[in-house]
Amino acid sequence: MDNFVEGLSEVTCDVLVIGGGTAGPMAALKAKQKNPALNVVLLEKANVKRSGSICMGMDGLNNAVVPGYATPEQYTKEITIANAGIVDQAPVFKYASRCYDIIQELDRFGIRFQKNANGDFDLKKVHHLGTYVLPMPNGDTVKKALYRQIKRERILVSNRFMATRLVTAKDGKIAGAIAVNTRTAEFLVLRAKTVILCMGAAGRLGLPHSGYLFGTYENPTNSGDGYAMAYHAGAALANLECYQINPLIKDYNGPACAYVAGPFGAYTANSEGKRFIESDYWSGQMMQEFYNELQSGKGPVFLKLNHLHADTVGEIEEILHKVERPSRGRFHQARGTDYREKMIEMHISEIGFCSGHSASGVFVDEFARTTVPGLYAAGDMASVPHNYMLGAFTNGAVAGEHAAEVALEIDLPDFDSEFVKAERKRVLAPTRREDGIPPNQLEYKTRRLINDYLQPPKVTARMQIGQARLAEIRDDLETALVAGDAHELMRSLEVSSILDCADMAAHASLFRMESRWGLYHNRVDYPKKDDDNWFCHTLLRKVDGRLVSEKRPIQPYIVPIENEERTAYDRLRVSNQA
Amino acid sequence: MTVCAFPIKPDEEAMPLAFSPTTVPVVVDEAKCIADKGCTVCVEVCPLDVLRISDLTGKAYMKFDECWYCMPCEKDCPTGAVTVNIPYLLR
Amino acid sequence: MTAFDPFEVFGDIEEIGERLNDADAAVRRLAVIDLAETARADVLPHLLTAVADPDATVRLQLAIALSEFDAVEAAAGLARLAADQDLTVAQAAADSLAELKDPAAAESILPLVSHGRAFVRAAGFRGLKALRSRGALGPALAAMRDEDANVRAQALGVVAYLKLEETLPSLIAATLDADATVRSVAVNALSFTSQPAAAAAVTAALDDENWQVRSAAAESLGRIGQTSAVAGLTAGLSDAYWQVRQKCLNALGKLKAQSAVRQISALLTSDMASLRKESAAALGEIADPSSRDTLMAHIGDADPDVRKTVRWALTRLG
Repeated sequence: MDNFVEGLSEVTCDVLVIGGGTAGPMAALKAKQKNPALNVVLLEKANVKRSGSICMGMDGLNNAVVPGYATPEQYTKEITIANAGIVDQAPVFKYASRCYDIIQELDRFGIRFQKNANGDFDLKKVHHLGTYVLPMPNGDTVKKALYRQIKRERILVSNRFMATRLVTAKDGKIAGAIAVNTRTAEFLVLRAKTVILCMGAAGRLGLPHSGYLFGTYENPTNSGDGYAMAYHAGAALANLECYQINPLIKDYNGPACAYVAGPFGAYTANSEGKRFIESDYWSGQMMQEFYNELQSGKGPVFLKLNHLHADTVGEIEEILHKVERPSRGRFHQARGTDYREKMIEMHISEIGFCSGHSASGVFVDEFARTTVPGLYAAGDMASVPHNYMLGAFTNGAVAGEHAAEVALEIDLPDFDSEFVKAERKRVLAPTRREDGIPPNQLEYKTRRLINDYLQPPKVTARMQIGQARLAEIRDDLETALVAGDAHELMRSLEVSSILDCADMAAHASLFRMESRWGLYHNRVDYPKKDDDNWFCHTLLRKVDGRLVSEKRPIQPYIVPIENEERTAYDRLRVSNQA
Repeated sequence: MTVCAFPIKPDEEAMPLAFSPTTVPVVVDEAKCIADKGCTVCVEVCPLDVLRISDLTGKAYMKFDECWYCMPCEKDCPTGAVTVNIPYLLR
Repeated sequence: MTAFDPFEVFGDIEEIGERLNDADAAVRRLAVIDLAETARADVLPHLLTAVADPDATVRLQLAIALSEFDAVEAAAGLARLAADQDLTVAQAAADSLAELKDPAAAESILPLVSHGRAFVRAAGFRGLKALRSRGALGPALAAMRDEDANVRAQALGVVAYLKLEETLPSLIAATLDADATVRSVAVNALSFTSQPAAAAAVTAALDDENWQVRSAAAESLGRIGQTSAVAGLTAGLSDAYWQVRQKCLNALGKLKAQSAVRQISALLTSDMASLRKESAAALGEIADPSSRDTLMAHIGDADPDVRKTVRWALTRLG
């Protein structure tokens, strides 16, 4: 294994789904169910059985819109307000209207949600505005249940193939993708009528404070390949300056407590053991408050559970240490830290792109369509804001159904064999060199520079230096990167995605000349929110080989938001001097 | 100490590479491991693809120090042979 | 350049099935894994031959593998493994039984509930719960008097999932069970109804010796929605455990308990921010204009969550 094998195969399909984590399997299932005669292929860099950010499961749904607890209108309003108004509501509303069906379907798949003694979903209220949290105390069943459905529907699964580029036809329509085997470097050409990108967040962008390349919040397989591929195919990417940054346990990549421990009475505290967060929702505003407290005399910041009953802490540990991040208990054990005894130090994560938590993603409409005809995107990499795991499932379903319909109506697009040749040459270049720089060193340096120059608070001159330094690394990548085996070739291709994303992060951040979304886009030299000039999306795309950003107006709201309501959220947050 | 094997090219013209020993987070109990009977469960489920079966011992081992300590390898191992530790840099 | 097949293949079922006869238990075990991996119903006859495998590790793998198949045949195999002499095997089979969704599986599971061993009886009821089988009701009601607490708890689960008014007397009786877990599930289970008798039984549970039962009772009363519970919940505001006080505050808010406004307000000065917050939230739910001054006095609370809730409550008062 890992030695280079010369090989090239071509397959043809109706619907190609790239990424077998959360959105991908659902997209493939729905496409197949819509029309069982369709040839649906699911391509995955790892193994669908345990791939993606939920490889070990998930501890709960953060945004379940369940009748009797919340309405699609209410949810759409709250997402609009939490995202500082920069929202096309149609996809958000569509998600909110559809997600309850998806929850029930997941329940039938055997994915276990918290239920009361009568077997009804047991939702929890976490913030002031609505009740959206549905815990999954046995959420380790997610991937297993999904994989079972994929197998039952006879969907063609291609594991350990990393997609490198999308292919478009002369008329601009999507025509397929090119992939390379991560253990042999064999080439796979996939011709398709429609392609759905479900490749997760760009979570390997910043370097974690520990310095460990793979200690990221997101599964490090989510190296932004989808963002890079969409960019090179000419698709527009939205609001990339709205980074993902999360509050985590210091040195450990597990999230803290808002949705899991919060309903039990735990909270985020400063060193005096006092609450300080004004914002209700995991948002850029909340991260700014977190950051401010970290930097203040009352810092650092802690997760506080030591006021809870030992039995309650046990119950929380049962969830936090068994599902989603099961190594967490081991981390605390090695440190000798116990939630019962004292508060646990927290910190903020490295930066990334992820619409699942913020709003930075490949631009999509309410049918999950990107700006490239026939190309769809869903999950963390698509621009539906704050859509989390349930959004990935729901929008994956939307994409799968729509792509299946379109695939019926069109012929297989033409395919440029010269492009395949050129891509093969590009991909294999690091395997042809005798001497140079291995991918791990190139990656470390790229990500260290991302931390030094691109993470907020953002400063214009600093980001410009960052751009220049990243350009030097790009030269190295194109002329000196060396891959000794197929595994290293995969890492080399990932570094290329990381570098593309870093360039996009810098470009998008420099374009929006205001501050918005709290810490996510805190530009120190443009410290104010500027609604007159910047109440809009920003779209970034590749034009003539270069990054180009433009403004895009926000689509008229379908759920109207009165001025009164727009400020209501702010007023709930306004601090009073104690 | 379990040390991550660094892929040094065997041929003479290979580029000069350092050998930097690294203690790896994933440890396999060779007495329990049944990879020599045809099992590849841990290798298949690792999202980062860092585990391999050794040609020498026939047992699973961690080849690349690129671990997300996510634990499918440990959880899915049919014989309980795999243990995932927190990488030293984070401990 | 050579072409290759990029798709996952699961191998030849007959060939894998042969490996189930190998002399080496590890090989047989891997064969079970490979067969289950296919998720194809036609592998079940092969797999089920392993129910009688002499090696416990093979049976254990089978007990895990059968959860991949939501089929009546899988249920029959699991029912047998749930009674396995090896406890690890039995536990895994019990877990897998609880994954089944096909109501037809009930028939295979039902015989377990009269097994001689309590573990097996409990596993049976646990498997029957999500199937919501009416046929299980009779045995479940009877087993709510089982000598084993876990069997009683699982049987109670079967009854509670059916949500039938006719089972109220049994559910109410379970609120007085000797085992705290059973009592806790029972008070939770009664929240599907608004019958006064249920409210009375759950209100009585506010005096349970176990704080978690009291806490569950308070939560349940909020959902039952009977104002007859207000007096009990108000008394609960002086419970020794703050967790119970918090749940009582929440329930009083849901019941719009105007008569408790004074006692609720008293908790606005609690040392615990969580209680101050819940108290403000309850006052906001009740929205009695007389609370305005009290709430105004706490608008500058030291805790941001309390301040937010006070502001929200004031908007509710108009």
